[in-house]
Amino acid sequence: MNIHEYQAKKLLKDFKINTPKGFVSYTPLETSNLAKKISFKGPWVLKAQIQAGARAKGHFIEKEAEGLCGVEIVKKHKDIFGVADKMLGKNLVTDQTSSKGKFVSRIYIEEYTKTKQSFYLSFVINRIKACITLLVANQTDNIVDLAQKKPESILRIHFDLNQKVSHQNVLQILEFLHLAPSNLPKLKTFIQNTYKAFLSLDATMLEINPVGLTFDGSFTALDAKISFDDNALFRHPDIQKMRDDYEMDESVLRAEKYGFKYREFEGGNIGLIVNGDGLALAVYDYLKQMHESPACYLNIKGGVDEDKIAQSLKILMTNPKVEGILINILGGFLRCNLVADGIVSAVNEIGLNIPLVTRFEGTNKEAAKAILEKHHFPFLTADSLQEATLKLINAMKESD
Amino acid sequence: MSILVNQNTRVLVQGITGLQASFHTKRIMAMGTNIVAGVSPHSAGGFHLGVPIFSSVKDAVKKTKANASLLFVPARAVKDAVKEALEAGIKLIVSIAYGVPILDALQIHKMVNDHGALLIGPNTPGIITPDEACLGVFPENILHRGHFGIVSRSSTLTYEAILETNRAGLGQSTVVGIGDDMIAGCHFDRIIDLFHQDPDTNAIILIGTLGGSYEEKAAAYYGTIKNKKPLIVYITGFESFHDDIGYASDIITHGKITIEDKKRIFRDAGALVLNSIDDLHETLARLK
Repeated sequence: MNIHEYQAKKLLKDFKINTPKGFVSYTPLETSNLAKKISFKGPWVLKAQIQAGARAKGHFIEKEAEGLCGVEIVKKHKDIFGVADKMLGKNLVTDQTSSKGKFVSRIYIEEYTKTKQSFYLSFVINRIKACITLLVANQTDNIVDLAQKKPESILRIHFDLNQKVSHQNVLQILEFLHLAPSNLPKLKTFIQNTYKAFLSLDATMLEINPVGLTFDGSFTALDAKISFDDNALFRHPDIQKMRDDYEMDESVLRAEKYGFKYREFEGGNIGLIVNGDGLALAVYDYLKQMHESPACYLNIKGGVDEDKIAQSLKILMTNPKVEGILINILGGFLRCNLVADGIVSAVNEIGLNIPLVTRFEGTNKEAAKAILEKHHFPFLTADSLQEATLKLINAMKESD
Repeated sequence: MSILVNQNTRVLVQGITGLQASFHTKRIMAMGTNIVAGVSPHSAGGFHLGVPIFSSVKDAVKKTKANASLLFVPARAVKDAVKEALEAGIKLIVSIAYGVPILDALQIHKMVNDHGALLIGPNTPGIITPDEACLGVFPENILHRGHFGIVSRSSTLTYEAILETNRAGLGQSTVVGIGDDMIAGCHFDRIIDLFHQDPDTNAIILIGTLGGSYEEKAAAYYGTIKNKKPLIVYITGFESFHDDIGYASDIITHGKITIEDKKRIFRDAGALVLNSIDDLHETLARLK
């Protein structure tokens, strides 16, 4: 789960990490009024709150907001209303969003912070070393690019769970960033607090980009991005409440309610129902090879409840872009007969006028086949992925 | 021969009385698995599915000499269950549940290493040596004993690989799902090593996915083996599935790794790399 910048900053404050003074606002008038609570003479920074990075290099789709990006520095108070008015309610496109962009429903307005120096800092889960890794870089733009082209320009320090950020670690970071030794105590506190936040919050990534060193010698989180481990959210009821459902697609949310994963893709006309990400990926690869594309996929991995399966099948079946459905289930933990029951009850309820191919293998496969046969639905069945795909493609051509 | 589990493996099931656990335990017993004990604090002293139930792993190990544990406990209880198994001296643990919190997984990883044990999973169908032992949720009707070792991150693709080896008239020596969670208990290279030591395994199928770099580690290891057994590799994944974690791991791993990169690394190490899971059929036919 991700949260907005303003929420992340609020959380960081709980761990005694400095952030610029700021408020979240939902209307231009509110933005303009809140600016006065921050300072009487600017400049102020207006930041569009969407859950995607690279906002400062983004652009809005709407003509009215032409020329603006997702992070605007405004010098005169009288201009704040106008800028906020242009940003709010528009769609912001960045390198990290789709071409449709993301809807800006709120603006975070904060004081403009002058810095002597700024740098990149993040704590992330390191899968391969099974540890936590601290990443630090002098450069604050295009960090992924930097990792590729100049890997040596990123400092990586690995921590196992019992290890703390030591004096030695901080010295190394200080030198790497060419900071004066006098900065050591404050840098140490800043990094230790950030690490503490990372662990306490069950984050998978806590990125502060940039960290600003201000003229009074403090370190401040000028931006903040936190991703949480969904599987640990049960330990954090307060964070669960921060979720912004408007950031998510309605169908995705519905599927999630039943415990399943649903995703849509741009282009494509095939609806995929599988049990397992790996299988979804393989089918996707295979369809691409056949010059076909999926419109969406539903992963019913771990399903044990026929009703929940039926409800989530309906999400995919009612997607208007779907012109054919491929159900590829390799039952292990999931029993094929439950899926067959789910299909029958979904089709009984909403009908079906597009081709549907099923392929069942594994646990209770025969029972599943028997259920489908009993109901005499015009389904096609197949014994391999290849056969299923070919049958579906042919059936879709015929129904054109 | 086979790797890790066989008919002599004395299996203990933690969380045996649960609804799903009961269903699968019954099945794997029918498949020949030697289940010697179950652990459930509430039903200790009795029997479940004909298996004696103990209140702790320690007790069960003492009375039944169990030497492997299969965990059917919910994700949030996995850490404590693994700890209990390790402290009772169990060296092979299989954890099926998916959704173990990552910080728990990091701690589990460390505990398992400190005890010199091996963890298969979490988020795995488990491990199976056909006709001998199944510690997991593999479907009973698809496995055939043979000489292919299969190791995979994705459970459903494991089944696909099993079916393809069957179709080619070949079978499996042992099948291992290392699991598709962010922190896997055991990596590909360890299993590749074990398959090389097993005289019953003639060739290996490895199924990887995008995200993380277990595949690169495996390829590097395979490249160093002198008397290589053939290794067939299929890697799947497109970026949109992994956008969240991909970003951070891109920075850790010195830049973005694509599917093509992973395939190339394996090819360079001497593996047979497939473009589609469907190519497995032809490749196996050629190997025969």
